[in-house]
Amino acid sequence: MEKNVIITGSNRGIGKAILKKFAKEGCNIWACARSPKKEFEDELKEIADKNGVWIEPIYFDLTSSESIKTGFKQIWASKKKIDVLVNNAGIAFIDLFQLTPEQKIRETFEVNVFSVMTLTQLVLKMMTRQHSGAIVNMASIGGIDAYPAHCAYGASKAAVIGFTKALSSEMAQWGIRVNAVAPGATETDMIVSFENKSGGNLLKNCAMKRKAKPEEIANTVYFLSSDEAAFINGQVIRVDGGST
Amino acid sequence: MTNLEKYTNAFVEAFDVDAETAKTLKYQAIEAWDSVGHMGLTAALESAFDIMMEPEDIIDLSSFEKGKEILSTKYGVEF
Ligand SMILES: NC(=O)c1ccc[n+]([C@@H]2O[C@H](COP(=O)([O-])OP(=O)(O)OC[C@H]3O[C@@H](n4cnc5c(N)ncnc54)[C@H](OP(=O)(O)O)[C@@H]3O)[C@@H](O)[C@H]2O)c1
Repeated sequence: MEKNVIITGSNRGIGKAILKKFAKEGCNIWACARSPKKEFEDELKEIADKNGVWIEPIYFDLTSSESIKTGFKQIWASKKKIDVLVNNAGIAFIDLFQLTPEQKIRETFEVNVFSVMTLTQLVLKMMTRQHSGAIVNMASIGGIDAYPAHCAYGASKAAVIGFTKALSSEMAQWGIRVNAVAPGATETDMIVSFENKSGGNLLKNCAMKRKAKPEEIANTVYFLSSDEAAFINGQVIRVDGGST
Repeated sequence: MTNLEKYTNAFVEAFDVDAETAKTLKYQAIEAWDSVGHMGLTAALESAFDIMMEPEDIIDLSSFEKGKEILSTKYGVEF
């Protein structure tokens, strides 16, 4: 599918796998990242050349709504259609609730929830005009199931799920679909913080007893954004190897 | 086309009314200007003037006259 796609947190982890998947499928990408890095831009160029698509880096810090707006203005100025928004970037603070400083709770919600709402609101300006679009939000099984030490992170991802469902019912009239993916433990830098606090129990409830590869999450994100999923709306798809 | 004509046209197109009626409109005064119609109006204004309106200004746009005030004071549109 040749579509124009915005991906946040595209410089590493699951976001990078999503970027590669969309590029491989012939999509053009606004690759959002926090700050400019030469290696990142070199890699984007390489991926774009290899797949015959354009990839434009867009830099903003998700803790600042002003920064998000400034970044988005570059996309807006291009006057190109925005077909897909993938709200992937996120942070995890994993510790017992009583050991969670209020500042960490606020930071977690700022990046995982409020920035998602801010960017989505901006992108919807374009999508409502087009009367089309697909949004995929990155949730987590931590936003569905109960795990100790997940109060801040889990609550933020539960908020993402609530947002996804409510928005999907609101935007359907403009032909815009909104879904979420809820990964289980996935092989990225982020998983280290989960591993450190899980006391060796990270995969205890996973039927397949392994972590997901970032590409497995990316495949689901791609599917939900594609026309193959044209009648899937307001759903949260677990990609977690099944639970026991 | 003058800015006032462009502005009025956005209302005419969004709510399917004539230009004279458009000038008297207030939010929710007619069926077409409900919250969904409001989104259509702001999209039309953003397109007409190539601007990106802040959510606060979208909320404040409560009438034809108020919209002119917002566009001129915050987005540099001269009427
Ligand atoms: N890994 C897992 O096991 C797992 C499981 C469930 C859900 N998830 C979710 O999947 C998504 C991706 O996670 P991941 O595992 O790929 O994590 P990761 O490797 O830690 O990558 C996180 C990405 O988010 C970006 N980001 C964080 N804070 C930002 C900010 N303030 N401004 C701009 N960008 C920011 C990071 O940019 P920098 O490089 O600049 O920090 C990075 O690109 C997250 O939403 C996460 O919650 C992950």
